Amino acid sequence: MKKAYLGIDIGSISTKGVVIDENFDIVASSYLWTEGSPVQGARRVLAELRDSLDADYRVLASGATGSARRLVGAMIGASVVKNEITAHAVGTTQLHPNVRTIFEIGGQDSKIILVENGIAVDYAMNTLCAAGTGAFLSSQAHRLGVAVEDFGAIALTSKSPTPIAARCTVFAESDLVHKLQMGHSREDIIAGLCAAVASNYLNNVAKGKKIAAPVVFQGGVSKNAGVVRAFEKELGLSVTVDENGHLMGAYGAAILAAGSGEEREFSFETADMDFTTKEINCRKCPNSCEIICVSRGGQLIDAWGNRCEKGDVRARRA
Amino acid sequence: MAQNDGSLSLHRVGFPAFNNYNLALKYFCEQGLQTGFVLPPAQTRKTIHYGELNSPDYVCAPFKHLTGSMIELLECGADILVETGGPCRLGFYGELQDKILHDLGYEFTMINLDIYKACKKREWLKLMRFINPDYKIPVMLREAANAIKMAEYLDDMEALYHKNLGFEVNEGDHDRVEREFLLDMKMAESGADIRAGYKKARSAMEALPLDKPPFPLRVGLVGEYYTVMDSFSNLDLENKLCRLGVEVYRNMNLTNYNLHPSELKLRASAKDYMRYDMGPTSAATVGAAVDYARLGFDGIVHVKSFGCTPEVDVMPLLQRVSADYKIPVLYLSYDTQTGDAGLETRVEAFYDMIARKKKVLKN
Repeated sequence: MKKAYLGIDIGSISTKGVVIDENFDIVASSYLWTEGSPVQGARRVLAELRDSLDADYRVLASGATGSARRLVGAMIGASVVKNEITAHAVGTTQLHPNVRTIFEIGGQDSKIILVENGIAVDYAMNTLCAAGTGAFLSSQAHRLGVAVEDFGAIALTSKSPTPIAARCTVFAESDLVHKLQMGHSREDIIAGLCAAVASNYLNNVAKGKKIAAPVVFQGGVSKNAGVVRAFEKELGLSVTVDENGHLMGAYGAAILAAGSGEEREFSFETADMDFTTKEINCRKCPNSCEIICVSRGGQLIDAWGNRCEKGDVRARRA
Repeated sequence: MAQNDGSLSLHRVGFPAFNNYNLALKYFCEQGLQTGFVLPPAQTRKTIHYGELNSPDYVCAPFKHLTGSMIELLECGADILVETGGPCRLGFYGELQDKILHDLGYEFTMINLDIYKACKKREWLKLMRFINPDYKIPVMLREAANAIKMAEYLDDMEALYHKNLGFEVNEGDHDRVEREFLLDMKMAESGADIRAGYKKARSAMEALPLDKPPFPLRVGLVGEYYTVMDSFSNLDLENKLCRLGVEVYRNMNLTNYNLHPSELKLRASAKDYMRYDMGPTSAATVGAAVDYARLGFDGIVHVKSFGCTPEVDVMPLLQRVSADYKIPVLYLSYDTQTGDAGLETRVEAFYDMIARKKKVLKN
């Protein structure tokens, strides 16, 4: 029997899972679209991991991260439920001990983490709006009739990227439609979009942060070679994209789970149990908190969303 | 209220919800002016809903909170509303709210203190005579001093609460003492009541068992006046930070900003970063941030309402403070959102970062 640890990262667009061994090497991984259902997404990822994992390995602890971490963490009984910023910092510094700057652009949010001597010293995350994230690129790909996975390759063929307003998704979109109708070629538009994502990121999220090399770029958008090239051009630095960059949050969660000191056998079957969530509106004061009650196998295991003791229905966790 | 025997006023004064300061105003109105006072109901989503519905779209978030709270006060029977006015857009709040609320059909008198700031004492006395024609000046002065004392005690207790909450041994201890203290302040009828209530609460809170490491994490809060002080507006930011195991400090409060302005001192701290005043709370923000950085705090959190121009202007200065003193700054912007998952992610990540940094530096 060999020890293993599971990390799962449930984002707005994609769900990622990895299993690592005691030396923090990845022994199984999975990357699937969330398709609007974090519970189903997590189930499918767990099923894939189970099928590809060597029978020798016993998963002893699990960690959940990403925007649906709490929900899925409750579902699989995770030993660690951690925010994605910490998970990314932990995962990346493990694989790239010299890293100074981490760029991360995901489906819904983007962040920058500054690292000194292997520890995160500052970070920033986009506020309020999803301009220049994966969700924006996906919707524009749809408009252009191109698969978002092909964006990078197409962008690299452009000789003169079309400038596109990057500040706000709404402006960018109307600018893009305008330029299309004016007769700009699709490659140039796509390259322009990639450049817009990079400059929006640098002017917004990374504003006022000192970007030092080596830079590691990750998250779903890092798979887009056009954005990588745009970053390198603007920064004058080389930008590293790890082949497992999209898994880094899950990888970090797995490392945190391994370090949690809590070891009990994890069974992939837990995810197959009957798992339901129910939203109730607390009526005990005019705030009417929306409380999410999570139950597994008919039993209430967790609840959140209430803001005072009046609506406290949280089950005691065993 | 008791029957009107000639010395009591039948007016019911209301001031929109703002931290716990309504208690001190209540005391002043009831004891000093012998008039009725309506405490605003605790803010809820409904408050924001009323506020949003009846406010201009791009106005700052505090306007929406205050307007919503005013509507609730009027529904509770207030017939005089008070708005403070202030050094930024806040100066226009009273005027605009007066119009909006009257357009909605409410009958009341708006007292916009902004107008009185330039007035002589005589005008202030006239204003109080309007609230209660029979008020006694010596009583009013005495009770005003007591009300100010109460505001200071409220700040003092709050500071102690946020310093120790994260380290309490028995969950709920601090909340219990704080709740009892607020109840005492609500019921106080004399200066002696206020002092006794404060002394009792202060010694009770100091006696609570704590499990605090010798060098706990310390975080300083800076930012825009209303949002940084009002826990409903900032989605309970301070308690969220506290409960992760942090001592939370906030220089910005009524005592330090209005009652005993420490602005000059703060401006001296900020002088390396700003040569002239940039408006409302900017000097207080930068000055306090520099003070926290010099004291070796582990982090600073900057709080503002979305689109607050003076505080947006301050951000590049804070970035310089952050670089010079190697202290991370978390920037938070609030509008009227009530979902706090995003806030939790950011606050937790900030905590993880400073906790890890401290651990590594110690070894």
